Amino acid sequence: MQASRARLFKEYKEVQREKVADPDIQLVCDDSNIFKWTALIKGPSETPYDGGVFQLAFSVPEQYPLQPPQVRFLTKIFHPNVHFKTGEICLDILKNAWSPAWTLQSVCRAIIALMAHPEPDSPLNCDSGNLLRSGDIRGYQSMARMYTRLAAMPKKG
Amino acid sequence: MMAEDGRNMMEPKSSSSDPNPCPICLGPITQDSYLDQCFHKFCFNCIVRWTNTVASKHFCGPTSVKCPLCKTENLSIIYGYDGSSFQQHYINRDLRISEFFSEAHRYRLKCYYIEPGNLADKLNVLSYWKSHKYRQQNHWLHDWLRREIQAVTQEEDVDVIVHHILGVIDSFRRDEVKHSNISTEMKQEAFKLLVSQAVGPFLTGRSGRFVNELELFLASGLKIDAFDKVYIKHLGWKIPEISKEEEESDETPEHEPAVPYLYILDQDSDDN
Repeated sequence: MQASRARLFKEYKEVQREKVADPDIQLVCDDSNIFKWTALIKGPSETPYDGGVFQLAFSVPEQYPLQPPQVRFLTKIFHPNVHFKTGEICLDILKNAWSPAWTLQSVCRAIIALMAHPEPDSPLNCDSGNLLRSGDIRGYQSMARMYTRLAAMPKKG
Repeated sequence: MMAEDGRNMMEPKSSSSDPNPCPICLGPITQDSYLDQCFHKFCFNCIVRWTNTVASKHFCGPTSVKCPLCKTENLSIIYGYDGSSFQQHYINRDLRISEFFSEAHRYRLKCYYIEPGNLADKLNVLSYWKSHKYRQQNHWLHDWLRREIQAVTQEEDVDVIVHHILGVIDSFRRDEVKHSNISTEMKQEAFKLLVSQAVGPFLTGRSGRFVNELELFLASGLKIDAFDKVYIKHLGWKIPEISKEEEESDETPEHEPAVPYLYILDQDSDDN
């Protein structure tokens, strides 16, 4: 418990320092609870998520960093490895392949990488996975782009 | 609240002052520890907690751990490096799981982490040398050595090392008769040096302490159970399993000393 707080505090300081260094990730700690974080990540370029800004919610367990944080998309996203309704993410490093050397910041980077490289063979979103597995890249991309426009882009006034 | 505090306490230099933090706690490394294959460095407590976490997820504990940084499989954690020697903590050679590693082994290993205090006086180490008790064979030495080496190395198969040490002690005993003009102190020193050299390659940083423990056991003239009892009493520990074992073995008469040590010689004159 104490160890996780100390470590999160270190990460907090690091985030403050690196804010400018990684323009694609904006990590914010909840004002009243260091175990709750949110992140805004930019959709990677040359993907259907380009131009979108996606919000992630982190819930950090007390055993952190021995246990991985729980992360989910708050912004709706059409992606084979993200549950369309709950935003749950299927990513090995958030489960079996977790290592305590990962930080919240590097988890965000891993999620950005997952957005650019979906794994259709372990889908949480079967529709999206099936489009990719059947080779309908165009179908997948247009669906994904549509949801990016609908949910992840600021409404133009 | 936490965030507010953080802003106040933030020092601009904080990250540059700590160029190589522990990858697990992100703080300065306390008690440098290295994985034995990839040599990545962590705090001892951090990496041990992580290996325990990994082990707890498996039914039959794995004997290796993936490095959190590079995923290399590692068999042990190297720590306590002081320039010439180091300690090794084997992954999940965890004493609760291994069958050979009894409560008695654990108590012996624990002894290596604490100071023995004045046990040497209690067990009359000096008179052991002065009265030439070392010339007598100790019938329990083989079993004691086996357990001791097992405890210190946390390896089950230590017969080669035990055999080696027994050989060294036997040859010391044989040669000793030829050099009866050497002072007792020198004999004691020579004995300790010989054994220490013999076990050095296997026990590294613990060789010195091992030799002292060996001397204590030999000087006590006690069989293993009685030695443990005295030792544990001296430390003020309570280990029920060992007391129980002792009661059981007391019923087997063949373990009784065949030739009791001649305590009359205790006050015997030094031959110098």
